[in-house]
Amino acid sequence: MPNWGMVIDLETCTGCQACTTACAMENSRLPGENWQDVLFYSEGEYPNLNISWLPRPCMQCENPSCVSVCPTRATYVDEGTGVVLVDWNKCIGCKYCMVACPYGVRFYMDEAPVVEPDVREAFPARGRRTWNPPFRMPDEYEDPSKGIGIQPSGVVSKCTFCHHKISQAPEGVADLDEDNPETREYTPACVRVCAPKARFFGDLDNPESKVNELIAEKGGVRLREETGNKPKVYYLSGGGSPVVPGSRSRRG
Amino acid sequence: MAMMTDTSPASVRGNHFLLHLIAALALLAIGGGYVLWEVFQFGKVQFNTTNAGIHWGLAIVTYDYFLLTSAGLAMVASLWHVFGLEEFRPVARRCLWLAMAGLIGGVAVLFLELGNPWIALWATPLNMQMASPLFWKVLLVGVYTILLAIVLFGMINKPDAGRNPLMMLVGLLALAITLVAGAVYGMMAMRPMWFGGEIPVVFLIESFMGALAFTVFFSHLKNGFSHGNMRPETRSLFEGTLARMFAISIALHFILHAGRAVTGLWSNAEGLQVWEYLVAQPMFHIALWGCVALPFVLMVLPATRSNGLMQVLASLLVMVGLLISRYEFIIGGQMVPLFKGTWAPDLLPYVPSTGEWALLVLAVGLANVVYAFAAWRLGAEDRG
Repeated sequence: MPNWGMVIDLETCTGCQACTTACAMENSRLPGENWQDVLFYSEGEYPNLNISWLPRPCMQCENPSCVSVCPTRATYVDEGTGVVLVDWNKCIGCKYCMVACPYGVRFYMDEAPVVEPDVREAFPARGRRTWNPPFRMPDEYEDPSKGIGIQPSGVVSKCTFCHHKISQAPEGVADLDEDNPETREYTPACVRVCAPKARFFGDLDNPESKVNELIAEKGGVRLREETGNKPKVYYLSGGGSPVVPGSRSRRG
Repeated sequence: MAMMTDTSPASVRGNHFLLHLIAALALLAIGGGYVLWEVFQFGKVQFNTTNAGIHWGLAIVTYDYFLLTSAGLAMVASLWHVFGLEEFRPVARRCLWLAMAGLIGGVAVLFLELGNPWIALWATPLNMQMASPLFWKVLLVGVYTILLAIVLFGMINKPDAGRNPLMMLVGLLALAITLVAGAVYGMMAMRPMWFGGEIPVVFLIESFMGALAFTVFFSHLKNGFSHGNMRPETRSLFEGTLARMFAISIALHFILHAGRAVTGLWSNAEGLQVWEYLVAQPMFHIALWGCVALPFVLMVLPATRSNGLMQVLASLLVMVGLLISRYEFIIGGQMVPLFKGTWAPDLLPYVPSTGEWALLVLAVGLANVVYAFAAWRLGAEDRG
């Protein structure tokens, strides 16, 4: 079984947010509620100012605290892909996983609209869905037991690494690359649309994979290693400063 | 408690329960009516559920406040039922009914806050996620509720039946609930304000302290807030052992609370800067000095310790202070945003919504309805 992971090259990323938009379209996200987001950081004051950005999907941790704290096992690690998923049939909406996620990548449906007007009112729901967006994925891809599709009320959702795509990938492939016609359809949306090719997706257990090569050769780092969550998203930052400045260090 | 000496006319001792019940029902109607109207009209979004970073708001503060008070009250009742401390016999039955009242009030709020509460009833016990403190909390609270109900049903028919061996389990479960409730927060290494092995102990002390405050208040309420109406053995308990226990628990709470604040202010660790904000707020000082230090002084000085009104004042202050402390702890632990970028504020703002305040009113009303009805009809209190 593959152990899918992602590498994001911060030296190549332009912060264009195409990944955010593609994810929102692919996974029927509410505007402003981004499973895949790009966070911006500014340090210093004009004219000595530095702006940096950090694309942030779910880290799909090897040792995820969200899985450990979930009282109903609604959050679980999918054995076939190693991806952390949410079973909406079991989620009780206690939000403990949101509290326990060190990366802030989980979303609760029942909230005031982040962006006005509320699109949920413009596209009212049928059945269990909380809304009915015109750009939603084909119905046959939806799987509430994996947290894929349009979120019902009272549950938590998160990035699935486009599980509905990667789980269909041919067996034994080392990387899912948008430039390879054989794997393009199975590549996560955020990776596939990345114009400067700052994202790479592959099997972390396969020594031949591009992601392993990049992590080894360019010194891939993971966020918040001190939590012991062991993310499967690696960042290439050129070996320079910390990827994410803390708010205290930003204040100087 | 027929064997006890009566020093006051029956009319002044505890015949006001119907009035109490009516007032509590009014409170429940106001809080519950508003909550239900909002839920049906707008959904649970009215309880301030947001993805900005404060995931647990006043509803969870209320739930934990009532649950931990309930567990503390069961522990106070266990002093007689389990350890045989005869002094606590006059308050044991009251404590157990109050424990059930608090439990019902708190769990009702949790059910209204949870996204899918009915799924929790089967999904939690059946999926056995033993690594989750919430799994254990739900399991323990479930068994605690059943056993407490059995003990109380036994009391309806035989209010003076004596010590109940089942209380060993109830007391143990109350202790475990308190410690696990602390672990829910204490295990969160990614939230430095909460993280630490001392949090379960903090919760235990706060739970016991809160329970003593509720015991003092409701015992005086039962006696029309007149010390003179109390039975001599109850008065002796409140001026002696219970007052000293109360003072010690307040002192321990002060040490742990102030100690954590000082440590937080001193540390440069990311996440602990929230203490700078909290300590700068008037509510922090109202809670620490007005609702902890002052009751401690009132309970330490012999003159105020033996004064009924001062006891009531101390208990009320502790009840309010504990709610503020729990609010600061639960909200404060989430105020430093996790991975939201520079464009999010350094500390996330949070103001409870009207719906959340209504949940608090509902919990207070419901708990009082349960207690007052039990006192009026189920023998929770001696009547005349």
